[in-house]
Amino acid sequence: MTMIRLCAAAAAAALALGAPALSHADWKPTKPVDIIVHTGPGGGNDLLARAVVTMMEQEKLVPVRMQVLNKPGGNGAVAAAAIAEREGDPNTLGFITSVWLAGPLTTKEQKVTVYDLTPIAQLLKEPAVFAVRADSPYKTLRDFIEAAKAHPGALKQSGGSITSRDNIVREQLEHATGAKWAYVSFPGGGARLAALLGGHVDIMVIEPQEAGENVRAGKLRVLAQISEKRLPKWSDVPTLKEAGFDITPTPQIRGVVAPPKMPAEAVAYWIGRFEKLHHTASWKKYVEQNELEDAFLPGQEFEKSMQETSRELKEQFVKAGIKVVR
Amino acid sequence: MDILAGLMQGFQVATTPTALGMCMLGVVLGTVIGVLPGLGPPATIAMLLPLTMKLEPTGAMIMLAGIYYGAKYGGSTTSILLNVPGESSSVVTCIDGYQMARKGRAGPALGMAAIASFIAGTFGVVALMLIAPMLARVSLAFSSPEYFALMVMGLAMVVLLAGNSLVKALLAMLVGLWVSGIGTDLFTATSRFTFGTVQLLGGVDFVVVAIGLFALGEVLGNMEPADPPKMLPVPKGLRNLLPTWQDMKRCRFAFVNGSVIGFLIGVLPGAGATIASFISYGIEKAVSRHPEEFGHGAIEGVAAPEGSNNAETGGALVPLLTLGIPGSSTTAILLAALILWGFKPGPLFIQDSPQLFWGLVASMYIGNVVLLILNLPLVAVFAQLLRVPAHILNPLILGVSVVGVYASGSSMFQLGLLALFGLVGYLMRKLDYPCAPMVLGLVLGDPMERALRQSLMMSQGSLAILLRPIPLTLLVVAAALLAVPLFRKSNALRVQMLDREEA
Repeated sequence: MTMIRLCAAAAAAALALGAPALSHADWKPTKPVDIIVHTGPGGGNDLLARAVVTMMEQEKLVPVRMQVLNKPGGNGAVAAAAIAEREGDPNTLGFITSVWLAGPLTTKEQKVTVYDLTPIAQLLKEPAVFAVRADSPYKTLRDFIEAAKAHPGALKQSGGSITSRDNIVREQLEHATGAKWAYVSFPGGGARLAALLGGHVDIMVIEPQEAGENVRAGKLRVLAQISEKRLPKWSDVPTLKEAGFDITPTPQIRGVVAPPKMPAEAVAYWIGRFEKLHHTASWKKYVEQNELEDAFLPGQEFEKSMQETSRELKEQFVKAGIKVVR
Repeated sequence: MDILAGLMQGFQVATTPTALGMCMLGVVLGTVIGVLPGLGPPATIAMLLPLTMKLEPTGAMIMLAGIYYGAKYGGSTTSILLNVPGESSSVVTCIDGYQMARKGRAGPALGMAAIASFIAGTFGVVALMLIAPMLARVSLAFSSPEYFALMVMGLAMVVLLAGNSLVKALLAMLVGLWVSGIGTDLFTATSRFTFGTVQLLGGVDFVVVAIGLFALGEVLGNMEPADPPKMLPVPKGLRNLLPTWQDMKRCRFAFVNGSVIGFLIGVLPGAGATIASFISYGIEKAVSRHPEEFGHGAIEGVAAPEGSNNAETGGALVPLLTLGIPGSSTTAILLAALILWGFKPGPLFIQDSPQLFWGLVASMYIGNVVLLILNLPLVAVFAQLLRVPAHILNPLILGVSVVGVYASGSSMFQLGLLALFGLVGYLMRKLDYPCAPMVLGLVLGDPMERALRQSLMMSQGSLAILLRPIPLTLLVVAAALLAVPLFRKSNALRVQMLDREEA
């Protein structure tokens, strides 16, 4: 008697638990999916989103068409607001970068932040390298730092906005060593590299892929890499720690978010799709070609990673004297 | 010899049926998106990027490049016919192109735009082929101080864009400079003049302002009088619509000017087609024997900027293909496409992939010929649009403007801005303020401020950095430009005095 009851109870419990799990697996998008990005066509996130669309298509992972929607402006603020407007919509995704975490820290106007959205998955970490011209007198990062110490403010680094990773690493190095050099902001990566190649600045933080071609052509020399461990193609270049600088650079991350209050089964579906994508051959090839770091993290863990990054960024901004508004 | 062999190889690649087909497809698509305001090459090429993964890379690159330079041909169409700039680099074309259309000379204006585009576009390809690697090295000498001086020279062009009053032109330019300052500051990450709104954090898109000032302002102005000004009739027959031999002779210098200026500015990763078109227009007016005709339908005012924005394409490909440095959003997408296809853009690209480079160069010769053949008969079709009566044409312009702005950002806020700047344009017309200087200030303000601040960061605050040879020369030219009206005025006074003395 009790035995049967127990069995029945167990069966009921199994049903109760199992039924929703079954419906999770059942949800599929039926309408074209919009991917909102914060740059115009040709920006880093736009190109990543389009590459992901292509791979999803090639690997037949999503049954509907996916299209990229550009909402540029305010370092992600406009895009974040556009995603938040689509509350509960299971057919909208957004691609974020560390810029989305830095933006709200310095911008009062921004009302919607990435934490108002639903985290789906972290996809990538972007490593970078310190490069100088091939004819530069600096053979190691230590050489550069010593020269900067000897002539404070005379050496120059080209980079993006002062809230970008390029500047944060500089600030960290300056703090650790007492050296001082100037930081010149340029809006595009092309202009930054042109300034270095033309001899107008002395050093820059550059993407490994871009640096590689210039090293091969004998135009640049790479002094150190900004990543946790040595990248496969740069096995002879030391990381910052190995070069003797005890600093932990804040990682540059890229990931996927969704509108607030997206239904749980849709969230589970999208996490599953991106997890699957990260195991495909096309994804591995993409990561290798662009010399990125595969860093998949699902939903909640992604949110934790973002919170950690935000906290580190804020700490660095305060140290660097950048006005922080929240 | 190397170049000849390379070109032979290139034509072998570019004349295969597939490559020819891709080239045609690219330039036709380019012309169409050029004609449509709002939809530009960056958005189109980005949309097509996933499709190209299934294609053979050389053919795909030929097609994407076709879209890029094809759009420059189409961009002038709505500028001339409707006063709605089709691409940002065709804003200047509105000034004289639309005035020509109002005088019944839409045909020659459209035809001249196509011919100038062909000549300068071909020049750009020749220059890309012959001197690309050498020029790329020279372009690296150009940095922030040089850019600052270039932008100052561009701003000095305001005296050439001024209508009756230099003071009004300068005021309009200052408003343009202020509007360009709206948004997030690159150097300090602080927001300026955003009035607490998120949408203004990214700044004000200059295409929205240009369409508002030119197109909407014009429509509002046209609707006001009870008896609207009649457009002069458009003649029939393609032969009567094309530019005459006289027109061609008048534009001799404009072809050279547009080709050289467009290419040189294109090579600089920090400038662009819009700036090139403004500067070549200014130069054209400065050296013209009849500057008073500019702004009232001078055909050189169409030929110079339309030529320069086509030569710019060849120039912009120089840093992309020889250094792996993109200068605009379109070239940034082409760079990403090359990486996706497995190429390695950078200093060794031409050496590593001669087939792609020479195939592309050869296809651009073919593409420019195709575009000329395609665009000249289209003149007859487009010119007939002006037969449409005003009560249909005005709403049409309004519709095209609204759709164009919405297509580029799908944002209601942008439409609000469009309406606002339309109203501003209308008031400026009523009060006799010229619109072009305001657009000039808006285009140049941001890069000029940036370049100056970068220069001062490089020099630890010393203005002496602006005294390097290139910036100094450009600044002297700017000063000379500004002095011209003063000189003219004093000269006029002197003549008056002499007359009086004689009397």
